[in-house]
Amino acid sequence: MNLALAPRPSLVTLEADEAFVTLDGVTKVFGHGKSVMTALESVTLDMSKGEFVCILGASGCGKSTLLSLVAGLDNPTSGTIEIADGRPAVMFQEPALLPWLTVRRNVELPMRIHKLDAAQRNLTTNRLLSMVGLMDFADHRPHQLSGGMRQRCALARALAQDSELLLMDEPFAALDAITRDQLHDDLNRIWQETGKTIIFVTHNVREAVRLGDRVVLMTPRPGRIAQIWDVEITRPRELDSFEVSGLASEITARLRAGGAPSDATQ
Amino acid sequence: MQRSRLRRILHGAWPRLLAIGILVGIWQLLVVIGVSTPGGLPLPGPGDTLAEMGYLIHIGVLLPALAQTLERAAIGYALALGVGTLVGLAVVRVPVLRAGVGSLLAGLQSLPSVVWVPIAVLFLSFGGQVENAMYFVVIMGAFPSIAMGVMSAYDNIPPLTFNLARSMGARGPHFYRHFVFSAALPGYVAGMKQAWAFSWRSLMAAELIIGSVASSGLGPILDDGRNLLDVPEMFAAVVTILIVGVAVNDLIFAPMERGLLRRRGLAPA
Ligand SMILES: Nc1ncnc2c1ncn2[C@@H]1O[C@H](COP(=O)(O)OP(=O)(O)O)[C@@H](O)[C@H]1O
Ligand SMILES: [Mg+2]
Repeated sequence: MNLALAPRPSLVTLEADEAFVTLDGVTKVFGHGKSVMTALESVTLDMSKGEFVCILGASGCGKSTLLSLVAGLDNPTSGTIEIADGRPAVMFQEPALLPWLTVRRNVELPMRIHKLDAAQRNLTTNRLLSMVGLMDFADHRPHQLSGGMRQRCALARALAQDSELLLMDEPFAALDAITRDQLHDDLNRIWQETGKTIIFVTHNVREAVRLGDRVVLMTPRPGRIAQIWDVEITRPRELDSFEVSGLASEITARLRAGGAPSDATQ
Repeated sequence: MQRSRLRRILHGAWPRLLAIGILVGIWQLLVVIGVSTPGGLPLPGPGDTLAEMGYLIHIGVLLPALAQTLERAAIGYALALGVGTLVGLAVVRVPVLRAGVGSLLAGLQSLPSVVWVPIAVLFLSFGGQVENAMYFVVIMGAFPSIAMGVMSAYDNIPPLTFNLARSMGARGPHFYRHFVFSAALPGYVAGMKQAWAFSWRSLMAAELIIGSVASSGLGPILDDGRNLLDVPEMFAAVVTILIVGVAVNDLIFAPMERGLLRRRGLAPA
């Protein structure tokens, strides 16, 4: 049974026939000899352009590994990954702002690297800073920001890379519930405004249901796709709405059945 | 703004002033007790030493000697900085060098650089010129700190920084300029700070040993005092050497390091 080839959600109409990201039998093995560890096993998944896919799983089931393979930071042991358009932008699990740069400089960095001229850089940076609501903090340094602001800044910087595909590795895991809720709203809005294709990794079931067009559940040792749900709840979604809770408990039940650690279900 | 800054500096200075006060107090106490050399020369007190410094300045000895020594220190330090940076970069960039040279550097650093003085004088003092020999001793004393600073600075860059650079597609000069240099800067500056202490020590050892034979400087004043049994002169030299060592650290390296760390949120504002 290949659940990865389940029909795409109705929300996505853009070039629905042509996959934007294709993972085919992706396997990743770490170490050798006695310490072999299969982090991912035959992960097959297609994503279309503009789709928001949430990868859900307990810690240790290979989510970060999967993202770093898609990001091109590491190579799969076997299988192929194809991305229709260039290099993806990444928002890492740890806050990855450069501490010696101001918020503005951090956001500008990808554009400096890609040699955009100053006028265009400024324009884009201002637009992104107001999009994530950090205009008033442009000249602050990362250590002067709250956790939520840091992640907003990291999001703006990822968007500054002007890549169609955005990879997010548990970006809100370390935030308090209230801040996380705001960021969910913002991310949902920004995704709708920008039309990016997003792969969002999380261990939080409700977060996955709230944000994703599809939720891909993974089980550990080896990391595999257990099941995929199409989420057809209308946006914007409320975290504690009846529909979100309903699907979340269905997924949680499946998670428990899979023998995954219960701390993943929060 | 200026005013509050001044106040902050004064506020930060009082523990230091207290420490100096205690030190001077103990010193004065020893004088009062009547400490002297076996030969009966009395220990000069803080006041005597200060007066001797004034006298040495007045007769035009101390300041030119200080200038001469500072010039040697600056040139020697700059050379050590260059050599140390190049060696550090080579070790970081060339894997074969790392294992061998890394431990050699640690060894060199623990070798008191004063041992190089006789050899340096023998090989490098052309026509009675001892400057080159002194530079050599300073370089040998200070460059290992710089090179090891480069190494540890590079090694302590978090792997995440490299991944971030790669995910942004930063390569070549961009990679070094935007990521490596800035990330490594605090470690490098820590190495620079340590290297200053080493180069100052090395220079004083070299000046003292090479002595007044062919040169002027703070070391030769000390040597001169020894030869003439002029104890206040010796104390004046020691106090000047101490003041310079502390002042360079406090006015140049410490603010540099503090500024860097503060901007990164790693030190109190
Ligand atoms: N570089 C690596 N070397 C060896 N094992 C690794 C490496 N990266 C990840 N792993 C292992 O692969 C498994 C999946 O890790 P990861 O992808 O970080 O999981 P998740 O992000 O879902 O928590 C873990 O058991 C982890 O120990
Ligand atoms: Mg992870």
